[in-house]
Order: sequence, then structure tokens, then C-alpha cells
Amino acid sequence: MNAVALALLLALAAPPQRGASATGIGAPRGPPLSGAALDARTQEIGELLRCPVCQGLSVADSPSTMARNMKAQVREKLAAGYEQEQILSDFESSYGEFVRLQPTMRGVNWLVWFGPLAVLLGGGGIVAWALKRSRRDAGPGDATQTDPAARAHSDPPSRGALPDDPRLAAAVRRVRQLAYGWPDGVPPRAS
Amino acid sequence: MTAASTPGATPAQAARINTRVLVMGLVIVVPLIAILVLNLGRDPHTVRSPLVGRPAPAFSLVPIGGGDPVSLESLRGRPVVINFWATWCVPCFQEHAALAAAARGLRDVRFLGVVYEDEEVRTQAFLQQRESAYPSLMDPEGKTAIAYGVFGVPETFFIDRAGRIVEKYVGPLERSTISELVARARSGGP
Repeated sequence: MNAVALALLLALAAPPQRGASATGIGAPRGPPLSGAALDARTQEIGELLRCPVCQGLSVADSPSTMARNMKAQVREKLAAGYEQEQILSDFESSYGEFVRLQPTMRGVNWLVWFGPLAVLLGGGGIVAWALKRSRRDAGPGDATQTDPAARAHSDPPSRGALPDDPRLAAAVRRVRQLAYGWPDGVPPRAS
Repeated sequence: MTAASTPGATPAQAARINTRVLVMGLVIVVPLIAILVLNLGRDPHTVRSPLVGRPAPAFSLVPIGGGDPVSLESLRGRPVVINFWATWCVPCFQEHAALAAAARGLRDVRFLGVVYEDEEVRTQAFLQQRESAYPSLMDPEGKTAIAYGVFGVPETFFIDRAGRIVEKYVGPLERSTISELVARARSGGP
């Protein structure tokens, strides 16, 4: 008696609910899940769905009522045998692509998936090119080695060096005498 | 002097490198700034509903306080306004009077409230205080809210006679906006 009443109740209650959530989702394409597999898949798919009322949280991570309701729907659909892509696209038909935390590989989304890699490769290429160039520039036979002006610019003067101008040279020697106690760049003992 | 000629050569070399770096930098930075500027005024949470222009998701929900379930199917042939609301939502209070007045004035349009994440007892008390002009339906487990892609309350859907969503309005409605959007729902469909 109870079973009959329950069956009647289910028959009355089920169709509109299924109609509300499963428009355009089609027939289940996979095997119905249950037990631990159902829990695991619910969690996995929940992680791929964005909670619409949160700030950057997945449905699996959010404690909000909305996320709990969405998780319950995911669970229900997995138990009925719907596949991941069917479930995700069903939510997408309500919320738009926004609801997917992992953008699908189509159109401008390719940029999101492979843009960073392209930028990394491009940046690495530029760095490699710059390194190669600077090594070549530093190599023998280069302009900086033969041109005295360039060499003077790149090589700091040694400690004992003196300016070309004799009056300036004399002044430098006097300053060294005052500061260190000897006029040459190095102490007399060491030289 | 030899030292004087050296700094003269270096800025020229530096200037040559700088232009190249500048151009490369601009190529990278300008598009990023353009994207930023174009999206500055946009709220990242306003997502255009993919449902607009598509058939409204079907539902069959029981009104507050019980009674026969109301289905969207049964309202086919008339423009429908579906308002998602809750008693904990302050903007919903503000728009309730406008919606009730519109429901009383626009006799050819069917107004429906769908309760979003709220308790039946509280919604019942709220409606008793305020003289409701249209039925509000309970949405257990938020299935209808999810099917309609509701992000929060209030959100209102305007549906034409053929059952297609003409517009989704986010935020509290005013009487003039309701009239305007109802006119669009009336002109849509067969």
C-alpha cells in the first residue's frame, strides 16, 4: 500500500523536476554511478563549476546554499548516468560559459590555454638571443678591445694609473701622499 | 681628451637599444592597457544570460501555503513575468510594491514570484503583511533558480507568449521599467 502511494507520488513529482533542470541535456550517455565513485565524481565535477554567488570559488569549495544545491544536481545527474560534459554544458546553458572554471578549448579561449606558454617561449627566446649577442660582443676582436676610447670606458683605471695631464697627475700624487702616506697607487713595500 | 669622446658614443648606442625595447614594450603593454581600459566600467559579475532569446526553462512549482502546482506550460499564450525574490533581500522589498501594482494593472500578463533560498513561513508572513497581487512559488533545492541561471535576488525574467525569454532584469524594478519590458514581452512571440 505504502509502496503504491510512493510510486504514485514519484510519478507525479518526478517529471516536472526533471523537465526543469534537464532541458536539452539529452539522454544519459554513461553508466549510472553510485557509492564512492559517485562521491568522487561529484567532487571532481564540483571543482570544475564556478559557484555563481561566490567570489572565485568552485561549487565543491563553497559552503553556500546555491553551491550545495548545484552539487546535489551534479550528484543526481551522475547517479542517472549523465556524463561530465553533459552536466557542464547543462549548467552552461543557464549561466553561460562563466560557470565553467576551466574554459573550453575553443575560439579565443585558446589564448588562455596556450598564451602563457607562447609568452614563456617567446621571452625565453629573447633572453637566449640577448645572451648570445652579449657574449659575442664581449668576444675577442670586438670594437671595445681595439678602440682605446671604448676600452678606457669599459676598463676601470688600475690603482697606480695617472691622468695624461701632467699638472693633474702631480695633484693626484699629492692627494695620495696626503691620504695614504705614499704617492703611488700601491704601498712602497708591496711594489 | 679620450675620456670626453667615450660618453658621446654611449648615449647613441643606448638610444638605439632603447627604441627597440620601447617598441617591443609597447607591443606587449598597449594591448593589455587597452583590455584594462575597455573593461574598467564593467562589473565582472554581470554576465549576459545565455537564456535571453531562448525558450524559458519549464517548471512546475507549488505556491506558498500549498495548492496545485503552477507550471510555465499552463501559462503559454500569455506574457509571463517571473520574479525571483526572498524576504532577506532588501531591494526585493523596494520592488514588491511596483510589481504588485503592475500585476493589478496589466491584466493580460501573468506575474509569478519564485522564492529564492528562503523559508516558506517567513515568505508567507511577508506576503500577508503586504497584500500580494500574484502567487509566489516555492523552489525546493533551488532547481528552478539554477535552471534560470539566477546569480542573486532580485532577478526578473520577461517571457513572451511563445514561452521565450525576452529579457532578464537584474536588480530592483520600477513601475516604468516593468511597463517597458512587459511591452517587449507582449510584442514578442506569435
